[in-house]
Amino acid sequence: MSATRDERQTHTRLPHHSVATALGEILSVWRPWSTRLLCGGLLSILALFSGLALMGAAGLRVSAFATGVGLAIGYVVLRLAGVGRIILRYAERLFAHDAMFRALAGLRVWFFRKLAHGAAAGIGFRRSGDLLSRLVRDVDTLDNLYLRIALPFLGAVAAMPVLLIVGWHASPQLGVTLLVIFLMVAVLLPVIAARIARPAGAEISEAEADLRVAALDFASGMREARAFGAEPRLVDRILARQDVLYRTQWHHARRQAAAGASAFLWGQIAVLVIVCAMAGRVFGGVPALNGVVVLFVTVTAFEGAMGLTRAGVLAAKVGHAAQRVTAVADEAPLATDGTQEAPRDGDVVLENVSFAWSGKSRAVLDGLSMTIRRGERVALLGPSGIGKSTLAALLLKVVEPDEGRITFGGADLRTLTSDSLRARIGWLSQSTHLFDDTIRANLLLATPDAPESALWKALDEAEIGDFVRNLPDGLDSWVGEGGAKVSGGQARRIALARVLLTNAPLLVLDEPATGLDAETERAFLATLNETSRGRTVLLIAHRLLGVEQFDQVWRLNGGKVEAAPV
Amino acid sequence: MSAVDKKIVRGWVKRRSAMSRKSAMPVVAWGLISVALGIWQAWLVASLLAGFLMERQASEGRAIVILALVMIGRAVCQYLQECAAAQSSIAGRRLLRRDMLEAIIRVGPPLLRRQHSGAVGTLIVDRIEWLDGFFSRWIPASMIAMAGPCLVIAGLAFLNPRAAVILAICGFMVPVAQAVFGIGAALATRRQVLAMTRLQARFLDRFRGIATIVLSNATEREASALADATDTLRRRTMRVLRIAFLSSAAIDIAMVVAIVTIAVMQGRALYGASTPLSTARVLVALLLVPEFFAPLRGLALAYQDRAHASGAGEAMEDLVSDADVATAAEIPALNGLSVDVRDVSYAWSAARGPVFDHLSFDVASGDVLVLDGRSGAGKSTLIELLMGFVRPQEGRILFNGIDIAAVSSRDIAERLTWIGQRPVIFAGSLRENIVFSRPSATEAELAAAVRAAAIDTFVTDFPDGLDTVVGEGGFGLSGGQAQRIAIARAFLKDAPLLLLDEPTAHLDPATERAIIAALRELVKGRTVVLCSHSEAIRDLGTKRLILPTGEELRESVS
Repeated sequence: MSATRDERQTHTRLPHHSVATALGEILSVWRPWSTRLLCGGLLSILALFSGLALMGAAGLRVSAFATGVGLAIGYVVLRLAGVGRIILRYAERLFAHDAMFRALAGLRVWFFRKLAHGAAAGIGFRRSGDLLSRLVRDVDTLDNLYLRIALPFLGAVAAMPVLLIVGWHASPQLGVTLLVIFLMVAVLLPVIAARIARPAGAEISEAEADLRVAALDFASGMREARAFGAEPRLVDRILARQDVLYRTQWHHARRQAAAGASAFLWGQIAVLVIVCAMAGRVFGGVPALNGVVVLFVTVTAFEGAMGLTRAGVLAAKVGHAAQRVTAVADEAPLATDGTQEAPRDGDVVLENVSFAWSGKSRAVLDGLSMTIRRGERVALLGPSGIGKSTLAALLLKVVEPDEGRITFGGADLRTLTSDSLRARIGWLSQSTHLFDDTIRANLLLATPDAPESALWKALDEAEIGDFVRNLPDGLDSWVGEGGAKVSGGQARRIALARVLLTNAPLLVLDEPATGLDAETERAFLATLNETSRGRTVLLIAHRLLGVEQFDQVWRLNGGKVEAAPV
Repeated sequence: MSAVDKKIVRGWVKRRSAMSRKSAMPVVAWGLISVALGIWQAWLVASLLAGFLMERQASEGRAIVILALVMIGRAVCQYLQECAAAQSSIAGRRLLRRDMLEAIIRVGPPLLRRQHSGAVGTLIVDRIEWLDGFFSRWIPASMIAMAGPCLVIAGLAFLNPRAAVILAICGFMVPVAQAVFGIGAALATRRQVLAMTRLQARFLDRFRGIATIVLSNATEREASALADATDTLRRRTMRVLRIAFLSSAAIDIAMVVAIVTIAVMQGRALYGASTPLSTARVLVALLLVPEFFAPLRGLALAYQDRAHASGAGEAMEDLVSDADVATAAEIPALNGLSVDVRDVSYAWSAARGPVFDHLSFDVASGDVLVLDGRSGAGKSTLIELLMGFVRPQEGRILFNGIDIAAVSSRDIAERLTWIGQRPVIFAGSLRENIVFSRPSATEAELAAAVRAAAIDTFVTDFPDGLDTVVGEGGFGLSGGQAQRIAIARAFLKDAPLLLLDEPTAHLDPATERAIIAALRELVKGRTVVLCSHSEAIRDLGTKRLILPTGEELRESVS
């Protein structure tokens, strides 16, 4: 799969939705949790009201006594508001966070599904570190959308009429003025802050993703780094990216601090306006008793809304995170899915198939025609990089031919569903991945219901049964990252056993014996003659050993196949 | 986790905090100034209000002007405090990441046998970024948490002693309640961090193998397994938060009790006997209640930040505990390098049994030793032992007569070149990937290495030649092409000992012949240990060793 870069490189930076579309998509993913999320919002409004009632009542009570008016407000109201505030606040926090984390978990699974949808050819130029960054940090950032933006905003909207009514009661002009200042803090400043911060949010996410890529390069290339004395260089690269990240973080922090301070200042201006009104300097004066209540309510209302300016700064980050998360959904599969179920079994026929990985690179296959009859054993030979793996990708519908067609049991592959087709093909590639899991879990990947006896049979056929039997944990031994806890040859045979375990009528084996010692390789190929009886086998290899029994041998050259002597 | 471990971690967090306290001083200073201004402001507002309630309007114009100035002062303090906190956090994380990277390098490649590279990546990036809150919030908050409320009490003691006592009592209840809840918090956070790390490693593993998952029709099953994992994470996170919320609920209770007590008791006392001064005294107490509890609330919110620090501390200690203890011995730089393995025993784990049991052999300078044995016989393990990545449990390995146990692994690595089964190709250009082994290489040396590794036969197919960018894991290169990059790296690094672990595993016979011709040049005048299943490459050998016994040591036929 060489020379694929032109088209693929565009995948390094995924296409971007507008922020609004991205947020809309996130919200639609969250729909199943909407009831919980709304309940969280309701609790938060109730908690806010009880807080307003508590402070307002306390102020009124003290003032009433001071002016000698007497028991204007009951002790009971005060206590009720107090207890309500404590309980509601605790419940709100617990409930809202729980709802949020449920929705985030759903979003992570959605992300994985979407990624899998377009990733039959692997993750390609998208770096796994970058994807992880999207999945972990960006999804985490999205909790701000609800907890630090939506909930406080909801609270601000609820506080607005209270502020207006209480203020109006004292003096209509005061009520309106307070409302205007409140709108300033709750709406205008956050919007301005979001606008200023938008470029920074993008910068921080990118810088962090870059740092993560450098860190993962260092982590997974530790052997190479040590062997070639490159540790200081890789560390320097990490530190350089850290510097970029911290520089952007510092700019961001300063803006956030400025936004927070200005919101605070506006809250203070509101207090000043009330004091001036009470002093009779504006709005023709306000009765002192009313003024005190307005003051206490205002202070409490602004306390809640103050965080919104900060949330505005955060909104830029959230919007960018939403774009990065939803961008994976755009990745269209390279082959379109059909509608028909694949036939149970049949001949594989390639007619004049041409294929190039991108418009600009040269064709890997050029007018290739060949027929593999049901039950036949076929070898395809050729040097590395000649397009043998491309042929496997075409058969598995990872990609579609540019010209010509491929049929399976008489049906054009284009018309078949990918799932049903892939269920018919047992595929072992050079990049087949062993997961950091137990041998059992790795075997069961494609056939989760296989009984234990079938597992052992497959392992024996792959010439690895005895090795697994002798492990202290047997089938439940962990294989490590990419099979690191077993040798290269053992990992290969476990992957092969996984393929043999499927009941697929067609086996596509791409260099199955790589990494085996000569003796094991011979034994394995000899067994393969037995175990694959009744199945169609396409063996892709550099060379043959001579112990295999083939019905046809093809040699791939110049994008075409030619028959070679069996 | 044993008590001893806990002590180590607590010590680590303490050391870390002590170092950061200094850089947190400006944060604390601005915070305390802001509290002091807050007290002044509360008094100004309270006296103004009392004046209005008593309908006495003396010199309130001046008071309003002062009030406005105090307000501006507070806003400035807040801005400066936040900036200082960000700076202190960046400094702290910078320092910590340097320590972490050093610790990882000390342990070296064997770390990958125990930990997924995704987990190591998390250690370098997220574990430290999570500490943002620890440095910017927890450390300053823990310093202000006592001083701030004390300042308020002191101020109030002048203005309204009785309210000061009420506040002090309510305030005292908060740490008590927090201590009760807090013990559980650290433990729960540790579990949450563990779940997060596992989840990340799992996702990374699944990303790398996503083609295998999709082509096995296993997407839905994997998705539901991931759903379970994320749900575990949610439950653990909630357990942490529940404790954190309880601890801030304790503050809420104390605060409400304070407000209600002051409003009811002192309010009643005013009835019928109020003066502007006495009214102002009660009002200032009410206004100062939120001010008093704000630092405590900040501390409660920052509590999980501290727990993150414990998590990072544990990970650090874990690394440091098995870092290798290298002394300053050096391998004599003779002409060439001889290898002597004496009575070496090694087992990856007790359960799996020993790979070698008292293995002995030697390779003279210039010899080419071929390792023989079925796959899984320990060929790769032996090569890791020779590279100094792992140390034998018994016996010694000598290079030029010096036990490499006494040499730092970096110095060992300097003397050897290695080509493995699956070379790691870094995201970047082909050129960067090749000169990786020697960045100072000249263009001519690079060209020679490219020719020697037969890269020139395929690189011309790429539009940008050597500047072609490949993806992480060598995406865009075939297995054989990636292997040739690794071989070119080895050519560039001119080391006396050459370790070859299946260098031609993915190559077709024609390319293999070209590589072997090149290797024939490379092995000249070098000591070589190689394992390969390819007969052609084994012909390079001058000696053979059968593993895992090592008993048979015979001259090769060639």
